[in-house]
Amino acid sequence: MVYPFGLGLYYSFTSYWLQYPNRFRFVWFYNYVDLIGEPLFVRALEFTLGFALVAVVVQVGLGLAVALLLHARIPGRAAIRALMLLPLMMPPVITALMWKIMMASTNAGILNYVLSFLGVDPVNWFGSTQGAVVSVLIIDTWGNLPFVALILLGGLQALPTEPYEAARVDGAGPAAILRYVTLPLLSPFIVLAVLFRAMDSLRIFDVIYATTQGGPNDATTNLQIMAYQYSFQWYQMGKGMAQAIVLLLLVVIVSYLLMRLWNRASESAT
Amino acid sequence: MTSEAVSYQRYVAKVALAVAAVVLLVWTVFPFVWILLTSLKSPGDIISVPPTFFFTPTFDNYAALVIGEQGGQYSSTRPDFPRFFLNSMIISIGAVALSVAAGIPAAYALARFSFPLKGVLGFVLMSFRFVPFIAFVIPLYLIYQQVGLYNTHVGLILAYQLITLPFTIWMLRSFFMEVPLEIQEAAKIDGCSWLGVLGRVILPLSLPGISVTVILGFMFSWNAFNYPLMLAGRQTFPVTVGAIQFISYEQVLWGQMAAATIVAALPQLLLSLMVQKYIVRGLTMGAVK
Repeated sequence: MVYPFGLGLYYSFTSYWLQYPNRFRFVWFYNYVDLIGEPLFVRALEFTLGFALVAVVVQVGLGLAVALLLHARIPGRAAIRALMLLPLMMPPVITALMWKIMMASTNAGILNYVLSFLGVDPVNWFGSTQGAVVSVLIIDTWGNLPFVALILLGGLQALPTEPYEAARVDGAGPAAILRYVTLPLLSPFIVLAVLFRAMDSLRIFDVIYATTQGGPNDATTNLQIMAYQYSFQWYQMGKGMAQAIVLLLLVVIVSYLLMRLWNRASESAT
Repeated sequence: MTSEAVSYQRYVAKVALAVAAVVLLVWTVFPFVWILLTSLKSPGDIISVPPTFFFTPTFDNYAALVIGEQGGQYSSTRPDFPRFFLNSMIISIGAVALSVAAGIPAAYALARFSFPLKGVLGFVLMSFRFVPFIAFVIPLYLIYQQVGLYNTHVGLILAYQLITLPFTIWMLRSFFMEVPLEIQEAAKIDGCSWLGVLGRVILPLSLPGISVTVILGFMFSWNAFNYPLMLAGRQTFPVTVGAIQFISYEQVLWGQMAAATIVAALPQLLLSLMVQKYIVRGLTMGAVK
């Protein structure tokens, strides 16, 4: 496992181009420096970070709402909880294809049909730049909302009961209890959910590949898609590998910061 | 507040919760229902405007998956779905078997012994959870082309270890650590070697945990798409890569694609109900129980 990775790291410092093997040179940091002047790289970097930020906020926010809902004693709670596992364990690419069928831009697309009752004009889901970004976000959320919700639900069910009794004795309303008791106690679980979702949404590939392939107009090209295009469509292995390493560093930095936050949250919550 | 106002408030809250629950249920289940319906439609019903809920169901799409006919015209480049399904089975079972065989001793060592670089090894294993696949697949692709592992089941099983092996080791480690130390000490006093402790005490006691690990590992392998996309060819495509083949031709075969997604999802749907209590633990590599 370490060998292929080491080899790849080495390639990122070379001008490895599969079709021109005799141009193979060790070029030091040329591939990395070259990226800075590449407009597509800047946009891919922006999209990678922006998408991860929005996806994490949306999914953790909604996930918290769903977890609180499932924690309340609603009828059919166990059934909903079991059913939520299904999107979670679907192959993401299959999820993407399911939504691709529902998001057909023609009038036969069920999603546009349902939206028409809400007075929304037919959306060009994968054909417009904004539509494509929103589509990828919706598909990713459908598959991963259950993950966040179930982590947070597990956290809610493990919370001690004493602080709640104390808060009620002090006359706190539901909103105050949520703000001053539940959220602080739940914070290690929230940070953990953010950590896993951030790691995965920075690297999202299969959903984008199956739906927009990075388009239209590179609107949904993130670093992983870009590295794929460089290495497997244009066979510039050295450059593709350099982009992969940049993405890896990005994921490592974000994960490291979130792990530190998690340690701190776990300490202060106990 | 009067008692009427309180009960009215409670009533509103109850209704709001119920509405939220229904919305959640529809959001979760409707895509499955719709794809199932689509997979049972004839091409005419699929493109009907507005979309129809009532139609004469047909199994043509499923039949086409098996024999590869597209509404009468035979295509030589048809996706060979039964083969993709078989490929998925072979690769996933192979990957899990290899991971469990290699993972049991590794997990035992991580759970029970202290040795130099133990922390480093644990970190390296965990780090596979956040390495972008493209960083592995580029060198693997180049190596596989040279040594002849490209487009082979063995090559894919080896590549899948990047997904299943770290997961297996971490999961087994967390299950092994739940076996009480006293029982292991007792077995040692009765004359068991460390291998005997592993074989006669830990493995039998953590059998449920091992089964869960096997099922989840199988499911993660089944879901894999990125590695086979680059490392497999038409003869070794698993269902995930196979299902996408329905869009790469002149037209999108919506009905067959819907049928393919249902078939590709089926093992996941059945297995996830079996291991539902452990899925979150598996996805977080044991961080949340």
